[in-house]
Order: sequence, then C-alpha cells, then structure tokens
Amino acid sequence: MNTPLNRFATLIWLALVILTVMTFCIGEEVSAGKTVMLSVLLISLVKGQLIANYFMGLRHVSWLWRGIILGYFVVVGSMIAIAYLK
Amino acid sequence: MNTNTALVNKTEDLPGDFAIWIFILAEMLVFGVMFIVYAFARSNQLEVFNASQLTLSRSMGTLNTIILITSSYFVVRAVSAIKSGDSRQSGRWLLGTIFLGGMFVAVKLWEFKQKFLAGITLETNDFYMFYLTLTFFHLMHVLMGMIILACIVYKLKHGGYSAQEHFGVETGASFWHMVDLLWIVLFPLIYIIR
Repeated sequence: MNTPLNRFATLIWLALVILTVMTFCIGEEVSAGKTVMLSVLLISLVKGQLIANYFMGLRHVSWLWRGIILGYFVVVGSMIAIAYLK
Repeated sequence: MNTNTALVNKTEDLPGDFAIWIFILAEMLVFGVMFIVYAFARSNQLEVFNASQLTLSRSMGTLNTIILITSSYFVVRAVSAIKSGDSRQSGRWLLGTIFLGGMFVAVKLWEFKQKFLAGITLETNDFYMFYLTLTFFHLMHVLMGMIILACIVYKLKHGGYSAQEHFGVETGASFWHMVDLLWIVLFPLIYIIR
C-alpha cells in the first residue's frame, strides 16, 4: 500500500543512497585529508539520524532516546576525528 | 489544537520490546569502543593502515552499504504493512530483507575470500586484524538478524501478527535497523577515511 508515510520512507531511502554514493565518490576521487575525514564523518552522522528518526521510528519517541542516538554519533565521531587529527 | 497537530506532537512508546533497546544500546556501545580503538591504533601506524586500506574494494563496501540501506527500507515497509493488517505483504517485504541480507553475506564472504587468497590473515598487520574482526563481528549480527526475521516470517505465515498485535515485528525491525546503523559508521571508517 503506497501511503504518504511509505512514500516518505522511500524519499529517506533515496537520500541515504545518494549520501552513500557521495561517500564513495569522496573516497575514490579526493585524496586523503582532514576535510575528507570530517565530511565523511558528517555524512555518517546525517545518515545515522535519518535511520534512527525515520526508519527506527524514534522521531515521535521521547527526546531522551533520540538524544542517546545523536549523542552516540557525536561522541564516537568526535573521538574518531580527534584520533585522525592527532 | 487540531487533530493533525496533536498527532505530530504525540510522544509514542519505543517501537518493539524495551529489552531490545537495551540490547541495541549495549551492542552500539561495544562497537563504538572498537571504532575508537581502531582510530587511535591507526594514528600510531599511519602508513601501514593507509596502504592496507587501499587494498580493500571500496565499490564492494559501497554496494554492501546500499544493500543494507535498502534492506532497512524493506523492513520499514514490512512494519507499515502489518500495521495495516496486511500480513501477507509484510511477509513479502521481510523475505526481501532476508534475501538482501543474504546478498550482503555473499559480498562480504567474497571479500574475505579475496583477502585469504592473497595470504592475508588476522596476523598480517593491525589494520587487517581490525578489518577482519570488526567486519566478521558485524557479519554475525547480519546473520543473527536474518534468523530473527525468518522466525517473524514463520509466525506471520501462521497468523501470529495482526494490525493490533505487531510487537514482535517491530522488535525484529529495530534489531535490523541497528545492524544498518553500525555499518553506517563501520563502512566509512574502514573503507573510506584515510
């Protein structure tokens, strides 16, 4: 059944695929560096939020759970960035 | 406040069993620690990590990312279908998810085979140790997710879920999304960033 919610999920899927292809292109075309690392981590943060909020259904759940997932990506992403910038 | 605003502002319960969310957080924590350990280990052996990373197939990693994202979308459709009371359609979406899970496993095994044929093992260097361990650990979660979803499909076929009672489908869906979520960090970390 193609409800508005299903159509919305399809758009989120499309956005995730586009972001994945962007990550691949960055990895293939651009040489290594801080900008590459930070952009790829930022793309992962966005993808993680799209999956958590719209696929896992956390968008309408208590802010605490959304905060935990966002916090996870921010903390893990920041630690990875710190290690790469060391 | 009109009905639409009320719907938008409504705070809902977590989808599926609460216990699965505790499990999801525990799993994410374990993987998170491993991701950070990988990043710091890399900073001590930049040349080894960068050279070894370039031997991985970024296109296969990307293909597997798209496969997992698509499988997660199929799970969303399966939950949506059972919420509408269409258990047959829900089962079809879940079977599609299991098929995509199988494709992910096949691609990953092909990658492992290439590495083993090249004589690469856990002991070759630290990068390959992390690559093989992290991706194998993740692969086990994909297989576990496929088994969980297969059990849900079995129960669906026997009328175990309906528009009113679909708790188990949501629980399995949440687990599968977690597998996807972990790969979202694992893929760029191992395959892309250098």
